[in-house]
Amino acid sequence: MGIEVKNLVKSFNKKVILDNISFKVDDGKILSIVGFSGSGKSTVLKLISGLIEKDSGEIITTGGDIAMVFQYSALFDSLNVFDNISFALQERKDLRGKYTQKELEKIVAEKLDLVGLSGIEDKYPSELSGGMQKRVSFARAIVTEPKIILYDEPTAGLDPISSTLIEDYIVRLKNETHAASIVVTHQMSTIQRTADSVLMLYNGGAVFEGTPEELCRKETPYTKQFVEAAIEGPMKMK
Amino acid sequence: MYFSRLICYNKLQKMRVYYKATYTYKIFRMFMQEFENFIHTLGLILGFGIEFFKGLKNRPTTIRETMVQAARFGISSLPITLSIVGMTTIIVAMQVAGEMVKQGAGNYVGMLVAILTVREESVIMAGFAIISMIGSSLASEIATMKVTEQIDAIRVLKVNPIHYLFTPRIIAGTIMMPLVVIVASLFGIICGAFAAHMVSGLTFKAYFDSVWFGLNMHDLRVCIMKAISFGFTIALISCSCGMEARDGAKGVGTATTKAVVWSFVAIVILDMIFAATCFY
Repeated sequence: MGIEVKNLVKSFNKKVILDNISFKVDDGKILSIVGFSGSGKSTVLKLISGLIEKDSGEIITTGGDIAMVFQYSALFDSLNVFDNISFALQERKDLRGKYTQKELEKIVAEKLDLVGLSGIEDKYPSELSGGMQKRVSFARAIVTEPKIILYDEPTAGLDPISSTLIEDYIVRLKNETHAASIVVTHQMSTIQRTADSVLMLYNGGAVFEGTPEELCRKETPYTKQFVEAAIEGPMKMK
Repeated sequence: MYFSRLICYNKLQKMRVYYKATYTYKIFRMFMQEFENFIHTLGLILGFGIEFFKGLKNRPTTIRETMVQAARFGISSLPITLSIVGMTTIIVAMQVAGEMVKQGAGNYVGMLVAILTVREESVIMAGFAIISMIGSSLASEIATMKVTEQIDAIRVLKVNPIHYLFTPRIIAGTIMMPLVVIVASLFGIICGAFAAHMVSGLTFKAYFDSVWFGLNMHDLRVCIMKAISFGFTIALISCSCGMEARDGAKGVGTATTKAVVWSFVAIVILDMIFAATCFY
């Protein structure tokens, strides 16, 4: 089933950010959430991951772990790559002591291999490029075999080639883990290369829901403005 | 009737607008805002304190991380603590030794310096040194983790950030502060001996005889209890203020300042409570 969100409402200081948002993401599928800055895209991810509380509505998930890849990786800068990736296995109450050092090393090596970064276990985040940090954060996210993966602007601040690489890894992780994924992004290339479906948010509500192809057809004023990156249109920047 | 009510209402509205523009109102608002912030921070620190104790019950802390934090508390702060305590004791000994020897009270110089050092100076000066060096760095470290979403990442990975971050730091602070204070007290008393000897020619034997005569176990016990409570308080306040940081670099700065100010005030209040309850 993946994730099902029904009539989700969230407001901050009496300002409604999300107003009756509903959507569904099946296992092994990727939903891309797009919209202006401040339209509540990241709030959706924070609500699903449990970082903030919803005002009302329902978030139904398959069960199992929920992983999140943060916009700026959010790697623990005082820990090396090995400790970053194995953090949950070493520190989580239900997993602590379950794995031997050898097993941890094997799991970390596997996950690093999956994101194409073998042999960097001893390096610290400050020694890695932005793209590498992002891939390490992918490895950290999938270490507990999550059923849901949330990506908050995974290609933000990266050069086009690194972005393409990251997009490929998002698809690869989807295929490897069969997790339901949500990717918050502004970039058309990320939508086209990764998403199975797209949800566009504006003014607290969903103004478009469909496939990337339907988005690119520009059949509604909202999709037309977004795809053409036009200033004029129904969506006004605040 | 309706119109007179409307006029009254309009007049009240105008008065309200006028009142809100006055300085009295603005000062009152600022005062209330500060009071609200004070209550909020106090509640926060107490809440984190309770969560810390819950964590102690639930999970053994990471020994490796606690050792790292203990080294940070003990070794990093020791040079500055010894310098401050040593110099303060030298100043006190220089001020009193000459005069006391002249008045025939040379036998009490060691006692005076030792009591002052053990009861007050070493603990409070070590507290100030640890706040400035370690408390501020703890607050800024955790605040940076907060604004760079590292704390959120810990939460998403289903690890309690209070247990993971606070526990080793608070345990390290609580254990290391008494050790720092004991070393600082010994160092202060020895510095006092040299200063008294240089200023008044008081012999080391006379000075240390007076120290042994003047000090008792009660002083040492209170000194250690104070150090334990100061260490715990500084670590808890610093971590709590760091945890509440928001709004990027500015938030990190605000959290650090808050941690330092709150820790200073807290240890002075604690010191007063100890003075009132343990020596009178």
